[in-house]
Amino acid sequence: MVEETFRSRFRTEVDGSDAPPGSDYHMFIGPQHPWCEEPAHFIIHLKGERVVEANIRIGFNFRGMEKAMEARTWRHNTMLIPRACGICSAVHQNIYVRVVERLAGIEDQISERARLIRMFSCEAERIHSHILWYGILAHDAGFDTLLHVSWRDREIIMDIVEDLSGNRVNPALMLPGGVKRDISKEKADRTKPKINDLIKKVEYHKKVFVEEASIRNRLEDVGVLTKDDAKKTTPNGPTGRASGLPFDVRKASPYELYDQLDWNLVYYTEGDILATTLVRLDETLESLRMCNQILDKLETAEGELLARVRPKIPAGEYFGRGEAPRGEDVHYGIANGTDKPERYKIRAPSLGNIDATLKRMDGEYIADMPVILRSYDPCFSCTNRVMIVNDTTGEKMIIGQDEFALKAIKAKKYNRPFF
Amino acid sequence: MSNELKELEDILKITFSKGLVKEVRKVEEGHFDILTTPDKAYDLMKILTEDAGIYHLSTVTAVEREKEFNVFYHIQHRIEEEFREVSINFIVTGINKDKPKTPSLLDFFVAADYYERECYDFFGIYFENHPFMQRLILPEKWPDDVRPMLKEYGWEELKEITLGIAKQISEND
Repeated sequence: MVEETFRSRFRTEVDGSDAPPGSDYHMFIGPQHPWCEEPAHFIIHLKGERVVEANIRIGFNFRGMEKAMEARTWRHNTMLIPRACGICSAVHQNIYVRVVERLAGIEDQISERARLIRMFSCEAERIHSHILWYGILAHDAGFDTLLHVSWRDREIIMDIVEDLSGNRVNPALMLPGGVKRDISKEKADRTKPKINDLIKKVEYHKKVFVEEASIRNRLEDVGVLTKDDAKKTTPNGPTGRASGLPFDVRKASPYELYDQLDWNLVYYTEGDILATTLVRLDETLESLRMCNQILDKLETAEGELLARVRPKIPAGEYFGRGEAPRGEDVHYGIANGTDKPERYKIRAPSLGNIDATLKRMDGEYIADMPVILRSYDPCFSCTNRVMIVNDTTGEKMIIGQDEFALKAIKAKKYNRPFF
Repeated sequence: MSNELKELEDILKITFSKGLVKEVRKVEEGHFDILTTPDKAYDLMKILTEDAGIYHLSTVTAVEREKEFNVFYHIQHRIEEEFREVSINFIVTGINKDKPKTPSLLDFFVAADYYERECYDFFGIYFENHPFMQRLILPEKWPDDVRPMLKEYGWEELKEITLGIAKQISEND
């Protein structure tokens, strides 16, 4: 039986009648709050300065994506699926195309070159997501210098992604059957020195986290999640790996060509926030080394970039998994023989990590709350473009951020409609 | 006894009692489907969690078929020494469409709490013995009889309901 202390933290009454006995203050954070960019409502019950229990309510940013996918074709959904997450868009697309390929039965036709380019896209995404995360963590711990230093260095990998795909955040390189763009010899040559440069910089970030007392003391022995607690609350990805659960989908059930690369599984057993940070720092370094290996392999790898996939996918179902920067990402696709999916289920990693993170809060100081809540890497959408649809005529236009701002200022200044 | 069942029993190092498992299918290397029915699901999951030591639940998926509902529990058997996982899709089949009911497996996984509530929210499948069978994601004012992921509701219909709720809220303010 599940003990009463381990009940899920998603159970919240609307009227607040479920406050635990002994708590004397109740703090409400969100759904809109300057600290947390993502819309979630945290309810934190306090006794003095200590947290008794923390609960959550979700559902403020529900977009109905699974239903929307049933109304679109498999081909359309290739472009819808990266929008599931603003930061880890490539891994969602990667799992989706693998599910489609498996259902269409063309798994063995994907060339080595296409698979290597897909892996490069996924690893580059992991690097920029992790650097972004520990930058914000440093900001939450009140160490803004490291935020600026790490985000300055993050631009290196963002430039690489933009060079290879044309986009900074949403590379959208993959299609069922292969990839859209090649990584040419010239591009690989100018990418390698940048990666070696970034390795040195991430090693420096790690040195700061380990040696600088002002940040280390904010993270060490804070919010400890023991291995037993981790087994009960089932966290995935870096949150689990920091508590001694050494499972990474890339190692646990290898997909693409991860079993052909030489890389180490990173895991720590301490379970505190420092361990979570170090898991991500070490993973960033591993991913950077993997990127170098992939670029070396690309010199000799050959094959067609795109195999043919028929628009009608034969009936069948498949459960696909992948390792997103935040943890285990799960898709379940069912095809019914037409060009549209019968059902498509997505479970993004953050949902599975919330329970474990709120368990960490028990008995901690309220001052440690920002760092602990940040530890599972809450994920928010950020894109640079906006699509504007005219309500009366149905006219569409896609413009950049600067242009949008300019248009908005002009419309206000001269008091005229936006279009 | 089928070969697949034997292979799965070897991996998990257990034996299933007779009649609990409807069918075992092998999807690929290290990836299995176990089919069962609502009345046997609880006992079967008890064997998997207590004897085989499975503790990780990836997610719960509800699927609407032509004549029945299926509920998938995607669980992972973890072999810590080899850093390896064996994926198992634990499928509860034959859930009646008129009165969808299946036992809650909350006793074995804390995570089942919110995944099952998500299925209840979107499909109206009632999980028996769940102490907190309430809405997880949809707004409070959403009509109780509308389960949006069912095939009978189209995109336009849902849009109308959503706009109606927004209008109602703005009028009250």
